[in-house]
Amino acid sequence: MTGRRWRQLGRIAAATLGLGCLLATLTPPLADAMTFDRHAVRHLLLAMVAPLAFALSTPITFALRTLPHRLRRILLALLRSRLARALSTAPVVLALDVGGMYAFYLTPLYSATHERPWLNALVDAHMFLAGCLLSWYLVGRDPMPSPPSTRTRLIVLLLAAGSHDLLAKLMYAQHLPAHGGSTEQLQLGAQIMFYGGDVVEVALAVLVLANWYARTGRQLRQTERQHQRQAERRARTGEATPRRLGSPLPQPDDPG
Amino acid sequence: MAESVPDSSRRPAVARSLTTGVLIGIGVAAFIDETVFHQLLHWHHFYDKSTETAGLVSDGFFHAGGWLSVVVGLFMLADLQRRGTTVIKRVWAGGFLGWGGFQLYDGLIQHKVFELHQIRYHVDLLGYDLAWNLSAGLGILLGLLLLRGGARSGRARSHRS
Repeated sequence: MTGRRWRQLGRIAAATLGLGCLLATLTPPLADAMTFDRHAVRHLLLAMVAPLAFALSTPITFALRTLPHRLRRILLALLRSRLARALSTAPVVLALDVGGMYAFYLTPLYSATHERPWLNALVDAHMFLAGCLLSWYLVGRDPMPSPPSTRTRLIVLLLAAGSHDLLAKLMYAQHLPAHGGSTEQLQLGAQIMFYGGDVVEVALAVLVLANWYARTGRQLRQTERQHQRQAERRARTGEATPRRLGSPLPQPDDPG
Repeated sequence: MAESVPDSSRRPAVARSLTTGVLIGIGVAAFIDETVFHQLLHWHHFYDKSTETAGLVSDGFFHAGGWLSVVVGLFMLADLQRRGTTVIKRVWAGGFLGWGGFQLYDGLIQHKVFELHQIRYHVDLLGYDLAWNLSAGLGILLGLLLLRGGARSGRARSHRS
């Protein structure tokens, strides 16, 4: 099978995983998450795993390729809009994702969602969409208004992951969210969020760096071909080889 | 892979090798802390009742920074190897510095200042604390020694090929 075919299969697998996660969060036993440990599992699937899977399935690229002309133009206009530009900046991504989490678990908002189904749906939607925004920002391969550098992506990941770990420990230490259930349940849920979050965050880090490694590799090969052509040309014209050929290999977009 | 590249573009990446080592060292220290002391021995606790919020902030970001470091460090090492510009001695120097530095931060600031958790419970801590922090100091010392020696032999390992 060719590389292109494999990539296609990978995208289908990612989309299936994302849909599977969403389906699991919307059906019992997770949908009526009565205990906080179940809520934690549901939260991980809805706000972290499903968004990452969808980001990897590159749905925007797929839509741009297959949509009819008029709809494609609307989508392109949306992607280039000021809103999309604002949404894909680091402070906004972090505020929506981390801010949303803190607001939900540290305020009475958590218990309020148990009494109002519409509020619950709204919070679910926010968690999922904010998770999508973060995943797209970090590892998305769809066209973006202004793609951030690898260094910026890593800083955003560190801030988001650190805040996530901190929130889980706060919940464990202070038995939060209020009215979330028994202390044992809360602490079990907080640990699920802490360690489950770690797994997804490590996966995100590996993907950010893998993208960097692949892109730098392409640039490296390109420079090597240039050097080779220069050397061949010199050999043909009988010119003496200078001590240094061209510039040193580029090290663009340094992650460290 | 890079036969056609002239040697001059393969100058040993001295500073980059050191950074790579430091990142991997920090990651290894964090990894040992998490797997051996938290998960296997159960000496460390997930949370100690005396922890202040400042301690939790430090803990959260150092925990996240630890595994992020090892991922970034390993990819940077792969990149150095691909370019054939690794200065292996600097990687080791950085590794010891990163490991010792993280261990010392954990031992002095996180265990003692923030009282996040202790090394072990229901035992006399002095010996444990001394062993923990002295081993960290030894790592830093070793890293510094390697750093001094490295100045003389800053040769990329692939220059042999």
